Amino acid sequence: MSNKLFTNIYHKKRSAGDWILDILVYSFSFIVLILTLYPFYYILVVSFNEGLDASAGGIYFWPRKFTLENYHMFFSDIKWIKGIGITVTRTLIGTTIGVFFTTLVAYGLSFPNLLFKKYYMLIIVISMYFSGGIIPYYTLLNQLHLINNFAVYIIPGALNTFFIMIAMSFFADISPSLRESATLDGASEIKVFLKIILPISKPFIATLILFIGVGHWNNWYDSAFFIQDKNLKTLSYLMMEVVNKTMISSTSANYGASSSTTTVSIQSAAMIVATLPIVCVYPFLQKYFVKGIMVGSVKE
Amino acid sequence: MLNYGQFTQTSFNYYNVDIREKQLVKKNIIVRKREIYNTMRHKKRSVFRGQIAIQMFVLSGIVYLIIFNFVPMAGIIMGFKDYDIVMGVGGIFTSHWVGLKYFKEFFSDYNIGNLIRNTIGISILKLIFTFPMPILFAIVLNEIRHDKFKRLVQTGSYLPHFISWIIISGIAVQFFSTGGMINTILSKLGFISDPIKFMTSVKLFWGFAVSLDLWKELGWWTIIFLAAISGINQDLYESAQIDGAGRLRRIWYITMPSIKPTIIVVLILALGNLFGGGLSGSNFEQSYLLGNSMNKEASSIIQTYVFEVGLSQGRYAYATAVGLIQSIISLILILSSNFISKKLSGVGLV
Repeated sequence: MSNKLFTNIYHKKRSAGDWILDILVYSFSFIVLILTLYPFYYILVVSFNEGLDASAGGIYFWPRKFTLENYHMFFSDIKWIKGIGITVTRTLIGTTIGVFFTTLVAYGLSFPNLLFKKYYMLIIVISMYFSGGIIPYYTLLNQLHLINNFAVYIIPGALNTFFIMIAMSFFADISPSLRESATLDGASEIKVFLKIILPISKPFIATLILFIGVGHWNNWYDSAFFIQDKNLKTLSYLMMEVVNKTMISSTSANYGASSSTTTVSIQSAAMIVATLPIVCVYPFLQKYFVKGIMVGSVKE
Repeated sequence: MLNYGQFTQTSFNYYNVDIREKQLVKKNIIVRKREIYNTMRHKKRSVFRGQIAIQMFVLSGIVYLIIFNFVPMAGIIMGFKDYDIVMGVGGIFTSHWVGLKYFKEFFSDYNIGNLIRNTIGISILKLIFTFPMPILFAIVLNEIRHDKFKRLVQTGSYLPHFISWIIISGIAVQFFSTGGMINTILSKLGFISDPIKFMTSVKLFWGFAVSLDLWKELGWWTIIFLAAISGINQDLYESAQIDGAGRLRRIWYITMPSIKPTIIVVLILALGNLFGGGLSGSNFEQSYLLGNSMNKEASSIIQTYVFEVGLSQGRYAYATAVGLIQSIISLILILSSNFISKKLSGVGLV
């Protein structure tokens, strides 16, 4: 970030204070890095270690008795497979619909001469900060037959008012002449939106996909309260069940009848499976979403 | 185009004319007003027709919001009625009004002291600890001159933000349960003879919850401050350097004042979201997932209480009333913090 001249001066004069500061800065960062990443690493190690052996403790950096049994048990349990299936499906459908709907509404609202814009914004702001609360909401979902229905994962969360606000300020920056020239050529508004606006907003759309996608992937709330059918439970919810089991009684019970896996070791495998997609995706979108957050938080 | 103002003015000119003429003029004005109203309506209609596609985009969202946000708001009347689930939805409207009965009941609940203490206490503790740390961390990161290491630390540190509270609590169990890693190490080193009950202790819950939250959100909030720091003009540092200012002095006299507006905005918004859970707004998830029958005294907050009495015990009317108290308090907090933020810095959410 500093320019050449600056770095040159910097390197010439290094006092004892500079050294001490450097040592503090680097060790502090290093400690934060370790504190953040080690827990995930530890879970990874436990997930590859024999369950009963791991419950004896003393494993820190490397599996003591390496095994794939935990993953084998995990992936051969139809309950978990169903959970993964539901989670993947809801994430794909939910993200597609969510991103499309949110950007469509935000794009419309970003028109400066939109009629009734004041009233629309009022409705959006009110729904952003005030709600009827969980019980009336539950009653509504029940009335719409969304309780115990897969659609409850998709429909009620399809429009996020907070993202509308961010998307609006993003679309407002797109040059109006771009849109106008396309409309003059006879393209319909929806075509302009799909063929011009969305493609040139790729970085922003990527950010939105990440946030909405991760939200779907992690959501346990709707699965816990709005779904009773065991076949429709998400991965997150199933994990919550296991975590709750291990929370009070620390003794890790045998998971399968004739295996060395325990609830803790299976739970570790499940956590790795649930974390992996996020770990794979988020660093790549980083440059986009840093931009995206800035658009939303600072520019407003 | 003519406006109403001109018309009222012309009517004053006829002040001395006799009454009949006055009435005639009045009638004329009304007619003209209606005409103008009609042309305006007509014009609006044609503008609307011109942007019909765009209007449809927006209206789809508005209709959606009305169904999923405004219809439940009407359900709030449940909190003032003698409603029971067995009455069905129609019962919401036909049941008897009971006024503030449920509100009174809530405030005389034997648990209310705990609930309010936990709701406010956890939030304030979170604010105190999770607010200054990202600022410090952003300044520390900015002092790193190896770009690769800097990026590694930054990227690594906000990974937990994207991980759900379920997984975080699962990790917490493996580290902090009585047979978990921390207790094993502590007892091996001879610091403790009995394992510390992090997961079930009433005394430790607040600290435990706040530390986990700090761990999860530190890196995320650092992004905003780091972005603010990277926007500082480098010439400032250079001239300070030439003037002989050391690094600490440069941090104190250049970096800190430059990111002050960002700090203020984030602080105010965090204050507004205090009831929701400070910066990250996840008090509910934390208290719900980490709370259990043993630490209930310290972990149950108003949000989890609403779930408990509402969805588990089926006391819809009472839960609605308690939920309403919660939403009103947080609404007041958000609106006032937004107002202050706008006054001070011109930045606000609304």
